[in-house]
Amino acid sequence: MTMSRTLDADVHPPYAHPDYKSTHLRAPKRPLVRVAPSPLETAGPVFPKHFVKDAEADLTTWGKSAPLGEKMVLIGRVLDEDGRPVRRSLVEVWQANASGRYPHPVDDHDAPLDPNFLGKGQVLTDDEGRYRIVTIKPGAYPWLNHPFGWRPAHIHLSLFGSAYGHRLITQMFFPGDPLLAIDPIFNSVPEAARPGLIADLALEHGVEGVALGYRFDIVLRGPPATPMGV
Amino acid sequence: MMAKPTASQTVGPFFARELLWSDGGEVLFPGQGERIVLTGHVFDGAGAPVIDALFETWQVDGTGRVPTAGEAARPYGYGRVSTGADGGYTIETVRPGSFTGPGGEAYAPQLSVTIFARGLLKAVRTRVFLAPLDAIKDDPLARAIDDPARLRTLVATPDPHEPKTYRWDVRLQGQGEAVFIEF
Repeated sequence: MTMSRTLDADVHPPYAHPDYKSTHLRAPKRPLVRVAPSPLETAGPVFPKHFVKDAEADLTTWGKSAPLGEKMVLIGRVLDEDGRPVRRSLVEVWQANASGRYPHPVDDHDAPLDPNFLGKGQVLTDDEGRYRIVTIKPGAYPWLNHPFGWRPAHIHLSLFGSAYGHRLITQMFFPGDPLLAIDPIFNSVPEAARPGLIADLALEHGVEGVALGYRFDIVLRGPPATPMGV
Repeated sequence: MMAKPTASQTVGPFFARELLWSDGGEVLFPGQGERIVLTGHVFDGAGAPVIDALFETWQVDGTGRVPTAGEAARPYGYGRVSTGADGGYTIETVRPGSFTGPGGEAYAPQLSVTIFARGLLKAVRTRVFLAPLDAIKDDPLARAIDDPARLRTLVATPDPHEPKTYRWDVRLQGQGEAVFIEF
């Protein structure tokens, strides 16, 4: 039943990408073994409704007062490769604060933590595959991969889709960011697939006078889900 | 309508507080089952521990059924932990049954495993077997690998002192590199 689905190599980065130093000792070198997904891998973990609370979609209300930074609304849809909505699927997001700092013990970037920002949220897609997150725009931050290296501002997203074979973790970037041109992680992706990692400005989805709007649709590739299951 | 898939990007080093659950290594099931432990380490190509991997498991229940929705706090059948300072991980779960594919394929007792980490631009996926080499010969992945030395990288071995504890180390690269799969 599988039609000509996109090849992994046309979409995803290779494991070994010399410009990204952490790949040197972690990228597998043997070719992957291609197999049909098992009945397990065409199904996937089902998150109970009460797993996600509405408030978790708003990263700006976690603290006692508002976090610093440029407030933004991120909306989008999660779709499968045939353009069908992925319904009631978990979307987890995490990000640095407006200064480019994560509240993480191994983040030693000398930028302030924001006591009102944890940088973590989650939401279930609706029946149309839509999600909506309220947050602040994360800052860029330096890293030691190469001289004067800075990661462009990004939001991490973790997705399940309807089958475990669709499981994806990715990063969303912002339009017009000059750091994209020098980011080895972003540029590890085949050139034709890079625009798919950049959100569109979508002012009409923001909040008038309060928050900028961005749109980021996510398409999950992988084995088709079985008609049974969920 | 074909839509263009979204590319993978690394999970990065900064996910622990965001993605981890305090009890994510305890896999839930609605029914009873023999509780077992899967534990081991993840190593890089130099043999150093991978201290910041996100290690996930997904499996059938003790009778070989794929878990579906439930009212537990988390999804059934799904484990999620991070490796520690020594590269170690531990998943406490039920012993999975064998199961059958849509074409009658005989799947040996196994867990589907996905590992994300800094330096992995996309996840590595594989399956770990909880049965000895000679008992998994007919499994579709064992047939596809068709090399006992390579297949052995995916076989967890019971601890001689703790028969309900299975040990499985994963080498991402180089000597003893685990078999990773794609669909």
